[in-house]
Amino acid sequence: MLMLEHEGKQLLRSWGLEVPAGIVIDARDRLGGALAGDAIAFPVAVKAQVSGGGRGKAGGVVRAESADELSRAVERLFEARFSDEKPSAVLIEPWLPIERELYLSVTIDSRAGGMVVLYAPQGGVEIESGPPPARYPVGRASNFRVHRMRQVLATVETDYELREKVISIAQGLVRAAANHDCTTVEINPLVKTPDGKLVAVDAKIVRDEWAAFRHRDIHDARQKLIARQPKLLRECLEMQHMYVRLDGDVGLISGGAGMTMAAMDLIEEFGGRPACFLDCSPGPTSTRGYRPAFAMLDADPRVRVILVSVFGGGTQMQRVANAMREIAKERTSTKPVVYRLDGTNVDQVPPILAEIGARNHDRLEDAVAEAVRLAREGYEHPA
Amino acid sequence: MSILLDQTNRVLIQGITGHMGRFAATDLGKYGTRIVAGVSPGRGGTVVEDVPVFDDVGSACRETGADTSVVFVPPAAVLGAVVEAVEAGCRLVVATADELPVQDAIEIRAVARANGAAFVGPNTPGIISPGKAKLGFMPSFCYRQGGIGVISRSGSLSYECCKRLTLAGLGQSTVIGIGGDPVKGTTAAEALALFHDDPETEAVLYLGEIGGAEEDAVAEYAGRGDAKPVAALIVGRTAPPGKRMGHAGALIGSIADSYQAKASLLRDAGTHVASGLTEVAAVVQSALQSQRDALRAATG
Repeated sequence: MLMLEHEGKQLLRSWGLEVPAGIVIDARDRLGGALAGDAIAFPVAVKAQVSGGGRGKAGGVVRAESADELSRAVERLFEARFSDEKPSAVLIEPWLPIERELYLSVTIDSRAGGMVVLYAPQGGVEIESGPPPARYPVGRASNFRVHRMRQVLATVETDYELREKVISIAQGLVRAAANHDCTTVEINPLVKTPDGKLVAVDAKIVRDEWAAFRHRDIHDARQKLIARQPKLLRECLEMQHMYVRLDGDVGLISGGAGMTMAAMDLIEEFGGRPACFLDCSPGPTSTRGYRPAFAMLDADPRVRVILVSVFGGGTQMQRVANAMREIAKERTSTKPVVYRLDGTNVDQVPPILAEIGARNHDRLEDAVAEAVRLAREGYEHPA
Repeated sequence: MSILLDQTNRVLIQGITGHMGRFAATDLGKYGTRIVAGVSPGRGGTVVEDVPVFDDVGSACRETGADTSVVFVPPAAVLGAVVEAVEAGCRLVVATADELPVQDAIEIRAVARANGAAFVGPNTPGIISPGKAKLGFMPSFCYRQGGIGVISRSGSLSYECCKRLTLAGLGQSTVIGIGGDPVKGTTAAEALALFHDDPETEAVLYLGEIGGAEEDAVAEYAGRGDAKPVAALIVGRTAPPGKRMGHAGALIGSIADSYQAKASLLRDAGTHVASGLTEVAAVVQSALQSQRDALRAATG
């Protein structure tokens, strides 16, 4: 779960890193009373708080020289959208003098079997077009060795005083990332000011949502994120379903990330287009679990047909079939539903689906072909 | 032969008094797995589905000779349970739980390696050596004993594909779910090394997806001169960039994460890559055939 910049910086500050002294303006307050008591030294950076990347290039960071420019910038940023996202807040910070912009991050790397530290001596918005950052594979936090990172940086960062500071910050970040269950801590840029300080001017921190059971703040952030979603999606997320909106018309209710993607690919192979990735396997495989999935796809005007594709191992398929029967009875939508259930106890499925006049397809390709055909024939909403 | 698991593993179930544990005691036993003990702290001395229950793994191992554990406990308890099994001397530990914090996976991987144990998980249906034993909750009817080693990042996709192999007459030596998380107990590279040394395995089917670096290891192996034939299916061709597709590791963050990059990397290394799910048995056939052709050419 990605934290907003100002939340991430609060964490960095609590870990002992230097961050600019900023003021956060909530979308609801605008500039109103928020600045009244604060004496602002211009120039300042005005930064839209959004979760998407590429903000700098999209004009989400503005320099303001006066109170006038500041209030215009704040207004403008609150009106703007960044990759379809409205800023929930704006962060105002002193515009720092920069000697050099560095890149430093700690993230998870499967090849390292754990954490890895990445460092580039030239950071900032162009980091992706430059040479790849130096990579120090750490593994678990207690494996961090100052001398190993020093070796990795030996030819990369020739300013040895700066190098030692960077290593010491990296060591702290690795320990903090482990303790606070962060899967990414990226500081880009880490700014070297003319007086030799290293200041985190941006922060991208991703918390591990599966660690919510031992971190109140992750738990609360997840609840807040879910609460911000539209009602039907919110009810799906509350059931632990995983949803990604796509732009097609075949609604997909599936189980397991790999099988869901395989079904999406197959829909396209058969000339159709999937409307979503909707993996219901982490949630309950009962009527209670699947009901919000149907409600969301039934209400989505783009969806012309629903394909249910579940191949269960630990999930017993007669239970899924029973849920399908119950939902079919209570549904008011007339969008057609195509079923392909397979796996544990699949032999009990056909008679259950027969009770609602539905058949179970033996093979996924047959179900997909049927769903794509129904989508293409066109489904008319009842008047 | 097979890898990691066969009839000789003496298996204990951690969390045997829970819903999944109890189901596993019957289901795994029915498949032929030698279930010798269960562990449930505070419930030692009881019996579940004819299996004796112990308070801790150490005493279960001492009294029953258990050397393998399959763990069915909630995510918050997985780290403690797996470390207990590894330190009690289990040579193989399987934990199927999803929603495990990645820091716990990192810790488990480090402890297992330090103790010379194999760990399969997290976020996996487990491992099965068809006709011999299974540790996990995959549907048994999808599998048949044979010569194809299968490695999968995704559970249900492996059931689907193994059913297709079985229907096509292609049995499996071992099917290992390496899981969908970024830090794995057993990586694709480690599973490939085991299949390479297993005389029963004639060819490997790799089931991958967008994101992550496992496919690099598969391509690296397939490119070796002495590699066994490798076939692969990569899913997520239609996934949009920048969105996590369920699995924590399934995210297109850069060009290398995309379907196209992975498929061409694998093809260039000589892997037989399926164009889609329905081709999966066919690419395994053609991988086997190309090796026969090569052998025939070599022997004249």
